[in-house]
Amino acid sequence: MMKKYALDKLVICNNCHTVHQKIPLHQGGKALCSRCDAVIYRQDDTIIEKTLAITLTAFISLLIAFQSTILTININGLEQSLTLTSLFVVILENEQYLIAVMLVFLIVIFPLMILLSLLTILTLMKLKKSGYLVKRLLILLAYILPWSMVDIFFISILVAMVKLFDYAKIELGIAFGAFILTLILDIFITKNISFYELWNQHDTIYGETHVKEK
Amino acid sequence: MIRYMEKHMSKRNKLLLCPICEAVNIDTGKEILCRRCHSKIYKPKRIAYHKTLAFLITAMILYIPANLYPILINKQFGVQSESTILGGIMHLWESGSYPVALIILVASVFVPLLKFLFITYLLISTKYNVNSSRVDKHKLFHITEAIGSWSMVDVFVVAILSVLIHFSGIQIYPGVGATAFALMVFFTMLSALSFDTRLIKKEE
Ligand SMILES: [Zn+2]
Ligand SMILES: [Zn+2]
Repeated sequence: MMKKYALDKLVICNNCHTVHQKIPLHQGGKALCSRCDAVIYRQDDTIIEKTLAITLTAFISLLIAFQSTILTININGLEQSLTLTSLFVVILENEQYLIAVMLVFLIVIFPLMILLSLLTILTLMKLKKSGYLVKRLLILLAYILPWSMVDIFFISILVAMVKLFDYAKIELGIAFGAFILTLILDIFITKNISFYELWNQHDTIYGETHVKEK
Repeated sequence: MIRYMEKHMSKRNKLLLCPICEAVNIDTGKEILCRRCHSKIYKPKRIAYHKTLAFLITAMILYIPANLYPILINKQFGVQSESTILGGIMHLWESGSYPVALIILVASVFVPLLKFLFITYLLISTKYNVNSSRVDKHKLFHITEAIGSWSMVDVFVVAILSVLIHFSGIQIYPGVGATAFALMVFFTMLSALSFDTRLIKKEE
């Protein structure tokens, strides 16, 4: 068992996999990798509250983005609007089932799941409750994180706009702004708290459960 | 307030990072259960290797129909025209949208090829102990992970256009190429995600 606890004093850089010894930091300090300069962890006592506020805003703005009009085009008086609902209606009408399934997971289910689990994790951490659920959600988060493509979807909207620019008048909707807000907040969340730090918080709040359960 | 961390040199080859919770684990060479999150983090190496290879080959095969079949079908008053990915890029280029043409060219043509090359290189170099620094390979692996989803841009664009250009006279549909392309991106991502970073480590 002694050896296992000794491992907690070590940290491996996620970027270049160099092994380091952990050092204590002052409030607001950062620990950088000595080999590749990547930030490995930080010390910030208000990190949970801050990230919780940003995540909640991001979640609400993503819901707005899903429910309102992204953009409307006008070609010689003929109008057509792009919303998430119209996207799925048309794709299913065209019988592109595989694309519909991929779209629904990559731009709706996974992004919502990520923000919702992050919200739950941070709220429970703040209340110092249900360590087991927090742990399950952190593991879930690691699996779905690479599969969110809201950012790529937004870039695709921009590309589609450029393609239509010569033929149509384009009017932007509320969802367009909501997408931008969500993406900016998303960058803030990833800059604010890393996965490593979330697990660190889990360990300090609920105690280390590194001994095997079974 | 920035402080560099002291490097820990002893027994570093035996330590590895849990890809799920980033805890430090001891490499026993066999299947490992992470000591913090209890995930099965590393499978026997041969299996991990073949899994990555299988996903990679599937993706490479799908790359062919993804480029040969039309990604977009355009119906104008009963007249049907089709365009492949390369055709679409050429059309954009001719119409003067150079930046967008370049974005699509990089995202749809170069990124998948680059990913195939990266993963193949990683697999070959870890199998035959090609000499190059460990840091480079981890960086390469990170780039591969990060650029993967960019290839979906073209599929999303076609989906969006099929909603907007949906009039009685003129309509746009996604073609077979779009489905093949989406599947190709999916399998390339699976291949990169299933790559066992322990394979990089061992050869030192
Ligand atoms: Zn590093
Ligand atoms: Zn773990």
